[in-house]
Amino acid sequence: MKLSDIIVTDAIIPELGSATRDEAIEQLIKSLAQANAIPKRTVKEATMAVISRENQATTGIGKGVALPHAKLKSIKHPVGTIGRSSRGIDFGSLDSKPVYIIILLLSCTDNPDEHLQAMETIFDHVQQDIFRKFLLQSDTVEKIAELISEADELR
Amino acid sequence: MCVKLSTREIEVTIPNKHGLHARPATRFVQLASKYESNIEVIKDNIVVDGKSVTSMLTLNATKGTSLKIRATGPDADEAVKELAALVESGFGENDQKDG
Amino acid sequence: MEIKKGIAVSPGVVIRPAVVLDAEEYHIPERHISPDRVDDELKRLEKALSQSTQELNELRSTTAKQLGNETAAIFDFHLALLKDKNLINKMRQLIETKHVVAEFAVASVLREYAKQFLKMPEYLAGRVKDVYDIERRILHRLIGQTHQRLIDLDEEVVVLAHDLTPSQTANFDRRHVLGLATDAGGRTSHTAIIARALGIPAVVGLKDASISTNPGDTVIIDGNRGIVIINPDEETVEEYQHYLQKRVEFEHTLDQIRDLPAITADGHEINLLGNIEFPEEAQTVLEKGGKGIGLYRTEFLYLGTETEPTEEDHYRAYCKVLEIMGDLPVCIRTLDLGADKYTQSRSPVPERNPFLGLRSIRFCLQHLDLFRTQLRAILRASMKGNVSLLFPLITNLTELRQAKMIVRDTMEDLEEEGYEVRTDVPIGMMVEVPSAALQCNQFAQEVDFFSIGTNDLIQYTMAVDRTNERVSPLFSAANPSVLRLIKEVIRAGQRYDVDVALCGEMGSEPEYVLLLLGMGLRTLSVAPPAIPEVKKTIRSITIEHARKVARQVATFESDKEIIRYLRDQISQVLPELY
Repeated sequence: MKLSDIIVTDAIIPELGSATRDEAIEQLIKSLAQANAIPKRTVKEATMAVISRENQATTGIGKGVALPHAKLKSIKHPVGTIGRSSRGIDFGSLDSKPVYIIILLLSCTDNPDEHLQAMETIFDHVQQDIFRKFLLQSDTVEKIAELISEADELR
Repeated sequence: MCVKLSTREIEVTIPNKHGLHARPATRFVQLASKYESNIEVIKDNIVVDGKSVTSMLTLNATKGTSLKIRATGPDADEAVKELAALVESGFGENDQKDG
Repeated sequence: MEIKKGIAVSPGVVIRPAVVLDAEEYHIPERHISPDRVDDELKRLEKALSQSTQELNELRSTTAKQLGNETAAIFDFHLALLKDKNLINKMRQLIETKHVVAEFAVASVLREYAKQFLKMPEYLAGRVKDVYDIERRILHRLIGQTHQRLIDLDEEVVVLAHDLTPSQTANFDRRHVLGLATDAGGRTSHTAIIARALGIPAVVGLKDASISTNPGDTVIIDGNRGIVIINPDEETVEEYQHYLQKRVEFEHTLDQIRDLPAITADGHEINLLGNIEFPEEAQTVLEKGGKGIGLYRTEFLYLGTETEPTEEDHYRAYCKVLEIMGDLPVCIRTLDLGADKYTQSRSPVPERNPFLGLRSIRFCLQHLDLFRTQLRAILRASMKGNVSLLFPLITNLTELRQAKMIVRDTMEDLEEEGYEVRTDVPIGMMVEVPSAALQCNQFAQEVDFFSIGTNDLIQYTMAVDRTNERVSPLFSAANPSVLRLIKEVIRAGQRYDVDVALCGEMGSEPEYVLLLLGMGLRTLSVAPPAIPEVKKTIRSITIEHARKVARQVATFESDKEIIRYLRDQISQVLPELY
């Protein structure tokens, strides 16, 4: 699975207005709905699911990255989006540092394999310093989308 | 058991170019094994089991070799006839393909 | 007498008759059976013949379908050979009159026949390869069974083989196999691991020992010096027997302390645990006086089988160990494969340097389905005992966090499915690469325990493959930089109140036990057979002395100085060892 198969370009938010974790999560999920990647009526359910997963254990894996995620019945295939925050958002990260990049993933409850494949892809890219660095520097939807397709090719 | 044990014998000549090699011998053994009768194949004074491919191959029967097929048992008649027919047809082989 | 030199991979000495497992080329030795086994042997032969016939019939029909009847007719000759009374009766006769094993009967009859074939006209001589082909087919069936037959050996033996696979050793009759010697393999080969786990001497990398040995030959396997002596002369046997006598006396003193606690002479209690690979070894850990499993390797589930283990396969293996261990701790390490057939066959292109490649936890994080299957089984099993979870080869924080994230997700999945799961299973990491050791203060804040894997830590610190004879002297646990890394980890553990265990081979050598306790280590996990000797060591030393030793060692510059000093110090408290 490629990153570009998962990330919905129209839902990318190069500068999140939100100041808190929960707001950022909601903003990204709404953006997915606006891009018609998920049904509008699922926004509330999805937001609650992601936040409740986050409350159990943070997905802020350090180096300014968080990977909030949840599995939902109402979704067919994994969809994700990316949000950047130049101010940084407190995710209660493991390294106690703010999060600048949020990669949010929603997958289907009935297809755990696809969820894992999507996670593998995201893990693979996030492990690379250069990907994180470029992502931090990409301040428009176009730049982020371009970075994603380049990263896919290099993989 | 009261079955009439008859013995039948017939003489044949090997027609194929390469003689009684592995494939024809196998065909012969396959057919011979279908009969209840004991099958023997005789070349000069060597008698071998017609249902054993290794024995058949030791005959080293080349083209033109004359062999006796001897069957003993309830279906001896049919056995020698069919086996002789197989040999004379060149074991159903096309000689060009032999090798 | 013939002496073969190889690599010593598991200590000890044994003198026994040899069982030789045949390599692919099937050198079939004349092995005999007792007369009352003749019927069994005839049945084995019959079974192998009928299995081979069935196999060939299937092969013939698929070939006929794909390539036509003409091509498939080749197999008719093979089938005719398998049914040939002349051949089969000869084989049976050999078994009945000479009491040989079926393998030998098949091989000698068919080889004799092949010889006759070669004398025939050229167009027939070509068929000799068909005879060999059928021989291989039958032998394959028979030898497949031979491996099973190592289960019920009726005498104590040593096993010589070209190489040993996990499926072969899994079936060993542990009471009767007392030593291993293989032509192939290195220090981390499967043979080495299994021999150490079983506590039997082993020498690998002998090149041609299995070919030079006939079944039944007396063989000495000297796992201390890395040599194998085939048909030793009387003098050599006597020499070794004398050594063994002394060793037995020493082991007898070890048996006496089995049930005593692992406590130093000045009253400090040490956690002495066992490393295991197979579920059955848990029993050995208890028998040897271990107080838990410090390292449960799970690779055996993946090796030796063609198919991936299912969640139930994992679950059963874990539950078995937990049942044996009761309340005692069991630390299950997740898949630590790499640089082997299993991971390489899943790689799109062969890795140029697999030891530094996609292995171990890295492999798992890129194969999350496989990782999740194992985690599900471990988490489910956690309800059955005192389980902790250990990640291998962690090199950076992101990896650890990703792995922990998957654990968390898996717990959630299980709970949703209605499983009861312990959410507080302790999660630890192996410290076996310098990057992990150097960042141990950060790691300590995110794990429940460390387990120092010295074998890999030395390899990656010294950049040396210890199975490579030309550089292996550089592989030394006493190297000052290795010791400094270990010290860092122990200190971080103390600072953040995180348990530190050591599970490498270093922990089973008395001189290092003295040093490690002096450096502050309180948990050791060793191969089960080493437990008594380590316990004896622990009980003979004082922490006060150990600390003094550790301080002194920190002042030395080279591993040679350190080793000399440690041996001198340990021989003062444990003179019977040296």
